[in-house]
Amino acid sequence: MPLSDLLDAQLVLVTGKGGTGKSTVAAAIGRRSAQAGRRTLVVEVDAVQSAMPGLLGRTPEFRPRPVGPRLAVANVTWVEALEDWLDRAIHVQRIARLILRNNLVRLFLDATPGVREIVVLSRIVAWCDEFDQVVVDMPASGHAVAYLEVPWVALRLLKTGPIHDEAERLVRRFADPGTRPLIVALPEEMVVNETLELRGQLAEKAPALAPPAVLLNQASMPSLSDDERILLERLAEAVDDDGPAAELVTAGLWEAELEAATARALARIEGAGLPVVAVPRVGALGGFGGGAEAVVLQLARALSREARAEDDAGGGR
Amino acid sequence: MSTLRTVIEAHRLIICVGAGGVGKTTVAASLALQAARLGRKVLVLTIDPARRLANSLGLSRFGNEPVRIEHPELRGELWAMMLDPHQTFHDLIERVSPDSTTAQRIFHNRVFVAIADSIAGSQDYMATEMLYDVVTSGRYDLVVLDTPPAKNALDFLDAPGRLARFTDQRIMKWFLAPYEEPRGFGRLLMGTSAVVFRLLGHIFGREFLGELSEFFQAFRDLYDGFRERSEAVIALFSDPDTRFIVVTAPTASGVETARFFLGELRARGMPCAGVAVNQRHLVGEEPPDAEQVLGPLAASLAGDLAPHTAEALVARLGAADRRLRELSALEARRLQVVRQAMSPGQEMWQARRQLREVHDVEALLVVGAQLLGP
Repeated sequence: MPLSDLLDAQLVLVTGKGGTGKSTVAAAIGRRSAQAGRRTLVVEVDAVQSAMPGLLGRTPEFRPRPVGPRLAVANVTWVEALEDWLDRAIHVQRIARLILRNNLVRLFLDATPGVREIVVLSRIVAWCDEFDQVVVDMPASGHAVAYLEVPWVALRLLKTGPIHDEAERLVRRFADPGTRPLIVALPEEMVVNETLELRGQLAEKAPALAPPAVLLNQASMPSLSDDERILLERLAEAVDDDGPAAELVTAGLWEAELEAATARALARIEGAGLPVVAVPRVGALGGFGGGAEAVVLQLARALSREARAEDDAGGGR
Repeated sequence: MSTLRTVIEAHRLIICVGAGGVGKTTVAASLALQAARLGRKVLVLTIDPARRLANSLGLSRFGNEPVRIEHPELRGELWAMMLDPHQTFHDLIERVSPDSTTAQRIFHNRVFVAIADSIAGSQDYMATEMLYDVVTSGRYDLVVLDTPPAKNALDFLDAPGRLARFTDQRIMKWFLAPYEEPRGFGRLLMGTSAVVFRLLGHIFGREFLGELSEFFQAFRDLYDGFRERSEAVIALFSDPDTRFIVVTAPTASGVETARFFLGELRARGMPCAGVAVNQRHLVGEEPPDAEQVLGPLAASLAGDLAPHTAEALVARLGAADRRLRELSALEARRLQVVRQAMSPGQEMWQARRQLREVHDVEALLVVGAQLLGP
């Protein structure tokens, strides 16, 4: 797949089932882009519990704050996003702005479906003018669809006005080839199911968005020979259920199962016509103990390696 | 101190909370299965679980109808239900509507049509809605709820109040006031209300504002129904017969969320029995010497295979076991952090990572037996 296209996209929307490593992947893509010389922003969407302190070493605020050369992090909390949107999009007098900040008006805007999503997305998209790349750590699967579909819903409901105009701007940005959705998956059957369902939902609810690419995280590449696999099965039959022999065989079966699960997942995702890149497991099972920040660095390196390998393969043809 | 067995034997409602992907559905179904083994009449209520788990439980389709799961080991009864949030929302509006005209007005409003499918967090709300019905129906001795994957960990706990807030009287009164003037909207608006209306009209467009206000107007009549419901569900959360169980996998993010939940449940005075750890990698005390333990056996089984297969595999198994031990030790350190966040009286229960994904009743029985312990 054109991984480098995706990694270089101006707006990368990272989603996927909970627990797949969305935030880690978003942080890694951002880190890699910054290392490649682009001004990059990693942004969380109205996160109550930010994942970024562990991943990038700083608790994000509403305004982008630096976490390294050319790399910044932010968390678009919705109340601030509303204030910000009123300032940017509604050209009214100060007195009117004060009225809009009245608590009851605020309560009303909060209760009005779609306002939250529109103002949050608007802030994120506006940052595309200030950064070379914006990587969005979107909410998990269904919640991401609920966010991304809002501009289309708003266009159906509203014919004029600033929210309508904002929705139009968002749809234009989503339709731009520089916007790329990325689904993070794991080599597990349930996760692959949800990934394929999510692709269908995005196509239906956010039709102008480019088809998503899939990053298969924590993949285990095949390492056992056929004969080794046969012998492993024989050993599994021969040893008792408990004790040191069982522990050794279980450790082997466990890794063999991870390899088989990776192959099954890749086959299903490719079979569904989605571009997929497998990123090897960089966490604990590979003997890694450096903490989340180190995992991000290692994942960033793995992404660069994959992208280079792809470029070489493409150049050779 | 309470064992997990007494937790599932003594309560009427168990709510499983935790991060996405840690196996909440698996733990909820395993506990329900164990309670039914012990002779109770149990319902496990789940929202969009992985399809194969659903199939193995006999839930091939969506719908708010409980399905009975038969197994020879069950002395009691196990029922499972998969929630259809859309249907639940529909039913709810019909129930709290004073008459069918009000309900119809809501169903045909374009704002309702737009939000009915997409209102973020409605799954959480619908889960609490349905929960109240089944718990108070008296049909089951125990209901086990598998909470939906939430955008934010707190969405579920805060869900009951959300629709009630949405239909808050203060918004209603203030927003609808101009519509109740005899001369109607836009005629003789005075003071702040008028300025606010012109501003909102500017933001949303006049046409939409009209429809929105119709929507709010219809919902206004539902407010009391929503509020009573949400108060009843909040009371159910803190009932002495209710226990929360925090479900986690021994991963960095799972453990982080588990700690967060323990704190939030405590802050809200919601009774939490403890932490169920799923997908734990466990090893024996002493690291085994692969060559000594398996060498001769492997060699005797590899006669017909390529030369050196036995040596190569045994070496690999040794390496795989060392990786497994590292992982197991890392998990133990992570879980230690969770233990420190637990209150006196709360327990931790563990189930091993199963070699294959858990999606049949037999595998669920294994997980449940491990959680309950000997």
